[in-house]
Amino acid sequence: MNAPSLTRRQGLVIGVILFGLLTLGLIIDGGRQLISDVTGVLSVSYLTSAIRLTVPIAFAAMGGIFAEKTGVINIGLEGLLIIGAFGAVASLYALSATPIGANIWLAFVLAILASTFVALLFAIVCIEFKADQIIAGLAVWLIALGFAPFASIIIWSRTSSPSVGTFSTVSIPGLAALPSIGPLFEATPPVFLLALAVPFSWYLLNRTTFGMWIEASGEDPKSLDTAGVDVRKVRYAGVLLSGVYCGIGGAGLALNTGQFVGSGDTMIDGRGWIGLTAYLIGNYNPVGAFLASFLFAGLDALQLQLQQIAGYDVSSTLVEIIPYVAVLVVLTFVGRTRMPSAAGEHYESDE
Amino acid sequence: MTDDSGSIRERGSAALDRLVDATAAERITISLASLVFAIIVGAVLVFVSGFVADCADPFIYLPGLGYGCYNPLEVYWTMLTGSFGSMTVIGQTLLQTTLLLFTGLSVAVAFRAGLFNIGTQGQMVLGALATALVVLELAAYVPDNAIGMVIVLSTGVIVGAIVGGFWGMIPGLMKAYANAHEVITTIMLNFVAIGIAFWLVQVHVGDLTTDSVQTETVPAVARFPATISGSRFSVIALIGALLVAAGIYLLYTRTVIGYDLRTSGIQETAAEYGGVNAKRNIVTSMTLSGVLGGIAGAIYVMMVQYRWQAGIPPLGFDGIAVSILAGNNPVGVIPAALLFGSLKTGSVAVDLSLGVPGELVEVLRGLIILFIAMPEFFRMIGKRFGYGNGSVATDGGEAQ
Repeated sequence: MNAPSLTRRQGLVIGVILFGLLTLGLIIDGGRQLISDVTGVLSVSYLTSAIRLTVPIAFAAMGGIFAEKTGVINIGLEGLLIIGAFGAVASLYALSATPIGANIWLAFVLAILASTFVALLFAIVCIEFKADQIIAGLAVWLIALGFAPFASIIIWSRTSSPSVGTFSTVSIPGLAALPSIGPLFEATPPVFLLALAVPFSWYLLNRTTFGMWIEASGEDPKSLDTAGVDVRKVRYAGVLLSGVYCGIGGAGLALNTGQFVGSGDTMIDGRGWIGLTAYLIGNYNPVGAFLASFLFAGLDALQLQLQQIAGYDVSSTLVEIIPYVAVLVVLTFVGRTRMPSAAGEHYESDE
Repeated sequence: MTDDSGSIRERGSAALDRLVDATAAERITISLASLVFAIIVGAVLVFVSGFVADCADPFIYLPGLGYGCYNPLEVYWTMLTGSFGSMTVIGQTLLQTTLLLFTGLSVAVAFRAGLFNIGTQGQMVLGALATALVVLELAAYVPDNAIGMVIVLSTGVIVGAIVGGFWGMIPGLMKAYANAHEVITTIMLNFVAIGIAFWLVQVHVGDLTTDSVQTETVPAVARFPATISGSRFSVIALIGALLVAAGIYLLYTRTVIGYDLRTSGIQETAAEYGGVNAKRNIVTSMTLSGVLGGIAGAIYVMMVQYRWQAGIPPLGFDGIAVSILAGNNPVGVIPAALLFGSLKTGSVAVDLSLGVPGELVEVLRGLIILFIAMPEFFRMIGKRFGYGNGSVATDGGEAQ
């Protein structure tokens, strides 16, 4: 793998996107005014909302990296996010009727367990029953997309839940009191989890034995097997990690808004797919995937803020398709991201 | 997306070998077994949800669990009567079947060439919009009689086909010339297509007098004549769909072009050695797939909705299930489309009369796809009960 050229490539992508935005700003009516409004919007409050929107995308992206690096392509990320979001709200709703009460952390954990359980089923299907990973991943998405509104109607008689409560903001003592950048250190727990998860994932993949196993499981399972490591177990671990990460991402999103919305594409609304594109653009590097996720979330936040503050009628629909167009451009023109060579293949141990 | 296209091709050819070796009977067995398992899992889901839901008269009481609202057998029975119990619902079932034939064939055509087109939905949405806009314009210039209707309907279908084909050609080009994985590109293009269509209709070409995102309603001359009263189903569209299925079957089994299309996607190198332009054939397969998706959209506008409206049902995704269930065989698509057509129609009755959410069908759709994706599961079950020696293999497609 040629590291310097990849970095250039990523830089190029980000440059192309920023340049595109700039051009867009100049060619449409009142472009200069727009640009000055955009720079006006770029404040600390904008950053905090962008980071909040990054949570589900980046967690899905990092989860996808773990699964695919071990050799199991998990395109069911969107479905796992849906399970995480629905699981969090449904658990919180159910808990409030029990003596335990509406414990938001317990609901968060239950949501992660739910998403991890679905990931386990996906892993069994792919590893034990040698299913086609793409088709099985698609099935995970379609099942979740049908199941979440189905269950919502069963529980709440409509596709969306009532408000069930949200994570309260946590401040980091000292840092939150800093002038101007202080608000960055006041956020909900999932945001802080993200700040921890990115370096943690990078470290896990690049500096630990487990990370080497993951790499080998996707690149050269035979050698890993020869070295005495069970490829199946490593692959299970990778897929389960993707379940955990998606659970955090989905639950984090739902417990920030305090409600599950199940209509249309559900409240996840393609964020799992954007996560998938983010790690392709970030070329399987958690830090790169995070940056790409942040870029996409930042666009979304920008569009929201512009509509609120400057009263622009920026079509949210058009802004929403930018990530998808970006990944199409990357895949077609900038160059291919390199998949792990054994990804998608079933591995049969000779034992 | 990958550099190891060589190994993917090899795997593709291995899959093809297995497909050729697997008899039709084995494939049908796997499809039926998947269907049965999906129905069983669906029944468990319905039964369990019955204990969560509230209802006036529960059908069962289990100590410790409480009252169960839904009887799975009753649910499936209602689904059956709700899709075949009267002429009106038969019309609705056939209406859905017609659309699913086109989307199922769209997915199957790509699958036959070793390409997994998840983009039928987007191709359908854009085809539908183009059809709606063109027939709205055209209807003003044609006589309000049968001749006018023939002109408008055929133009509408052609326009949908062209736009859908164009949208299908894009991932084909990306696959052939940039080696971008068609699964990723078609999923992305779905979002882009739906976004563009929504934006166009909302801001530019829609009916701006309403708050809903929709075009104006197409006039009578742009509507397929209804065959059964109480339903918008038109037998003309169904016959057209069946003819297309037969045509595609003949294309792939009886013509050189069909053979070339298949091998190009599955064994690009081999096809090139044989003097075939494999890249062009990949583009052709995806374009043909898009054409069928676009026609589904055209039929949807001119037979079902009578306009383009945001939130077009996920017929493109249903098409994936139809095609996989049919083993990607154009003839097999016919019973598979009928099955899904009746599931979709029956779910309306299940929702109305029993209160079981119609989303159940979407869960069943996913389960069927999941079970068919793992033939090994059935092989293991078969082995456990002492049947066969086990080379039953199908992975829902001819290639990865």
